[in-house]
Amino acid sequence: MFITKKAINRRSMLKGLGAALSLPLLDSMIPAFAEASSAPVRLAWFYLPNGIDMRNWTPPAEGPLPAELPNILAPFASVRDDVTVISNLTANWGRPLQVGAGDHGRALAAYMTGVEVYRTAGADLKLTTSADQIAARANGHLTTLPSLEIGLEEARQTGNCDNGYSCAYTYNVSWKTETQPLPPISDPKNLFERLFGSDVAESPAAHARRLAMRESILDQVMGDTHKLEATLGPSDRRKLDEYLTSVREIEIQVDKASKSTTVIDPGMDKPFGVPQEYADYFRLMTDMLIVAFKADITRISTFMIGREGSTRAYPEIGVADGHHPLTHHMGNMDMLEKVRQINVHHATAMAAFIKKMKETKEGDSNLLDNSLIVYGSGLSDGNVHTHDQLPTLLCGRGQGYIVPGRHHIYQRETPVANLFATMLDRVGVRPEHVGDSTGELAGLTSLS
Amino acid sequence: MADTPIGVVYNTSVTRPDAALALAAMYVMESKRESHMGSVCVAGAGFNAAVFCDIIGKMYSFGTRNGNQALAVGLAAEQGVPDSPMVKTAVDHNYPRTLQRVTDTSAPVEVLRNGVIFNTYSVVILSGPATYLARTLDLLNVKDLYKDRVKRLVIVDAGTPYKDAPALRKVIAEWPTPVFFCPKEVGDALKFPGAQLDKDFSWVPSHPIVDAYKAYKPMPYDAPLYDLAATHYAVHPDSGFFELSAAGTIDVANDGAMKFAPGSGNVKSIGIVPAKKEALFTVLIDTATAKPVAPAPPNRGGGRGGSGRGAFGFSGQGRGVLPAIVPPTVKQ
Repeated sequence: MFITKKAINRRSMLKGLGAALSLPLLDSMIPAFAEASSAPVRLAWFYLPNGIDMRNWTPPAEGPLPAELPNILAPFASVRDDVTVISNLTANWGRPLQVGAGDHGRALAAYMTGVEVYRTAGADLKLTTSADQIAARANGHLTTLPSLEIGLEEARQTGNCDNGYSCAYTYNVSWKTETQPLPPISDPKNLFERLFGSDVAESPAAHARRLAMRESILDQVMGDTHKLEATLGPSDRRKLDEYLTSVREIEIQVDKASKSTTVIDPGMDKPFGVPQEYADYFRLMTDMLIVAFKADITRISTFMIGREGSTRAYPEIGVADGHHPLTHHMGNMDMLEKVRQINVHHATAMAAFIKKMKETKEGDSNLLDNSLIVYGSGLSDGNVHTHDQLPTLLCGRGQGYIVPGRHHIYQRETPVANLFATMLDRVGVRPEHVGDSTGELAGLTSLS
Repeated sequence: MADTPIGVVYNTSVTRPDAALALAAMYVMESKRESHMGSVCVAGAGFNAAVFCDIIGKMYSFGTRNGNQALAVGLAAEQGVPDSPMVKTAVDHNYPRTLQRVTDTSAPVEVLRNGVIFNTYSVVILSGPATYLARTLDLLNVKDLYKDRVKRLVIVDAGTPYKDAPALRKVIAEWPTPVFFCPKEVGDALKFPGAQLDKDFSWVPSHPIVDAYKAYKPMPYDAPLYDLAATHYAVHPDSGFFELSAAGTIDVANDGAMKFAPGSGNVKSIGIVPAKKEALFTVLIDTATAKPVAPAPPNRGGGRGGSGRGAFGFSGQGRGVLPAIVPPTVKQ
């Protein structure tokens, strides 16, 4: 028997005058007799600033996650079987190591690089390629964007942000080279345009015209969409419709945010066009990340929930004080309680994103099952700046690579880079080392 | 950083009283800012050996050591290795401790490497299987790191062959900084006066080292000070108490027995200057049995503070040392 049906190319795009839109994974893209799981594995790192209230994070025992999760992890209850708590990992180069103050600068800079952070507030930065960029260097050619860097605070690249450590160290978790940070995109409109607008086949004139007319990308690619729909079966037509609907919803959110006239909250920096409340902001940016993953625009992302040392306030949950000052609670129970509330607030948003990833179908599976997503920090106790026993939650299965729903406790001093090396291994990237890694995490994967 | 105390990394199996006394001396020297603990790694012993080291560290540091100021004791957990009566007796005494389970200990390879990084400059004392110290040499860039930071490696010979002869040979062959051999004769020439044990540690009602010493073998006996002598040389090589041989190497038999061989090589053997033996003995005993110096009160206002840019939401300059107030996350 010969198979004659021609599959749609995985990297096909809907094109219109001055715009191009990637497609999600459709059944028609999967050749007959192909491996059942042809979807790629996505990697993402969500960085939490200022550590965590660890007393309300760590499950009491190793093994299956308990029915009642610790308070900060409770929002993940509905996806308990899709997440893994990993305890006792260390980011050694974040420590003072006789260098002195500057823990926030080192905490973020060393987290995904695993090397000594050269102390400078000038332009002579020195770090190394971060774990995500090691993956992007190897696999980035497979997608439109090698990687995607997102953040919820506008990134500063110069100046002294922490006791002689450059702001580049406290704002950027992704480093392409030892001297080149990759600033996260914090403006929803810029992110949207990077994903769906200006990055592909759009002339400056067309881009300007579209912006001026506030024309939907979907409107621009309508003709191509109709042509494609005519070639698809019912299942793929439904998937395409769901996908285009999600793109449209994001367009509406971005447009709505850009028209906001809400007075800026003095407790936080809020650039024009950014949703006022953290939860809305987080949801908007993660919605776009989901589309980017689903459309295979990228397979690698980092997401800065806040810059290290963030002073953001959360009046929407009754916390008017800045996050970082609160973490130096020195035992003040009222401040500790506010830290816990912020930690829960972040976790609630993250859990909603993870749930949405799980609800996003992909072939016979879902986007979460095809991903490995770290939710963690380079600090544990923000009060005294501890860089070991880090809070680490791994979400997803990496297509059966991880058996989640468990709490793994490793011996202390185990490098957090060992987790990142384990993740890179899943996507076929096996560098000689990832920073100060000493191997992979034994017992974490279904193979070990 | 000329005034920074030298770091100490100690690889031990904690099976003899001299190891316990060496540990005490390390913390006493730390309290006097003569040195600063990097890390302790237990190799070739069981969990209670690590607990014993943890008890000593906790007792001598006035509760000031937490994850930010100290690394948890490393343990190369070996199945089926019985606890020595020495450490078991002290552990059974229920002194305050941090380690409750194996996962509270540190991974051995990592704690040795990170212990070196913990201080600007370090010395490494090897008294026990070299398995994990040898493995650190295979980590990327670690030889360069050691070359920059480790002033010297001192290998102790107590007459008991180390397990894993290939690892010991690898360390001797590949170590990137000066290596010194502290032969059995040095420790044999310096013996702790067992009859004075209780009096020497009478500054505290009960002491884990006293428990351990008495449990090691029937009293009274005088324990050779192998590790204690090596520790003193490692931290104070210019004390004038020691003399060095010409360069040579250490021959390691298949059973792990060591013998210094003059000739080619980068190892020097340590000897005691005969005229200084009594003075050295006094210093060793005084150091190992001393009550540690209590730390100065934390500086709450004059420390190195922020840049004044308000980047972290603090007003004013300097917030000094912030004491740990959150209880240890180790589960009880």
